[in-house]
Amino acid sequence: MLAFLGYQLYVTDFLNDRVQAEAMATLEAELEARRTQLPAPEPVEVTVPEEVEEPEEPEPPTFVRTAFVPESPVPQGEPLGRLMIEAIGVDEVVFEGVDRETLKKGPGHMPWTPVPGQPGNAVMSGHRTTYGRPFYDLDQLEIGDRIEVETAVGTHVFEVREIHIVEPDDVWVTEEKSGAWLTLTTCHPHFSARERLVVQAELIDGPNAAYAELLARQAEEGQDA
Amino acid sequence: MKRLWNALPGPAAVKAALMLVLIAAVLVVLFFVFEWAGDLLDSGGVIGA
Repeated sequence: MLAFLGYQLYVTDFLNDRVQAEAMATLEAELEARRTQLPAPEPVEVTVPEEVEEPEEPEPPTFVRTAFVPESPVPQGEPLGRLMIEAIGVDEVVFEGVDRETLKKGPGHMPWTPVPGQPGNAVMSGHRTTYGRPFYDLDQLEIGDRIEVETAVGTHVFEVREIHIVEPDDVWVTEEKSGAWLTLTTCHPHFSARERLVVQAELIDGPNAAYAELLARQAEEGQDA
Repeated sequence: MKRLWNALPGPAAVKAALMLVLIAAVLVVLFFVFEWAGDLLDSGGVIGA
């Protein structure tokens, strides 16, 4: 029993520390190399009704010009970017994928969800008590706390909007959302995989923040209509 | 341990080789048991997996 706990709580941390240190040392160079292959920002037009106080006649929709910087996922197991949560002292390299081996290296990005900073709901999962325990203090986050994710496109700043405790198969937390969101998931409570702690944050700053905000407004107006 | 050593067949060199194989096998089994049981402590937090 002691050997088991020692392995899980210390050996896995030791293994993870080495992987993270190596990945962190090469991440900036990898992101820089990826930046040179990015397409130029795309000018886009989003239809958003003008904000007019109680118009007598419905206003025709107007087009708002903004820019959107697309980014594609990286191959499975490769470093995707850097996750920084100052409020709980997290500074980790995020890898692409949520399979067992990838999560041993650090937080993983669900490949079937958008890359953080892209429109939709980007989902990341991470260990709570083993393998470097990147999300050990995730329950300490509060509404309004900031989460930053650096990818090849730039640094995306998210603000925590929702915190949930859910069942492990509550996949609704990974579903599409209007605007650009980041969802972090981990085991709950500590030392148990019985439930999931889920933190959902909305993009408020970064290369695609203006575009995401317009998309969210457009969706909101669409619902109201 | 001594009883196990005595139960192994052959001369000392063969016994030592068999002992190494046995220890390696036990370590491999322990590793997989620890990995499996570790999922009960912390599965990685993936939703829907």
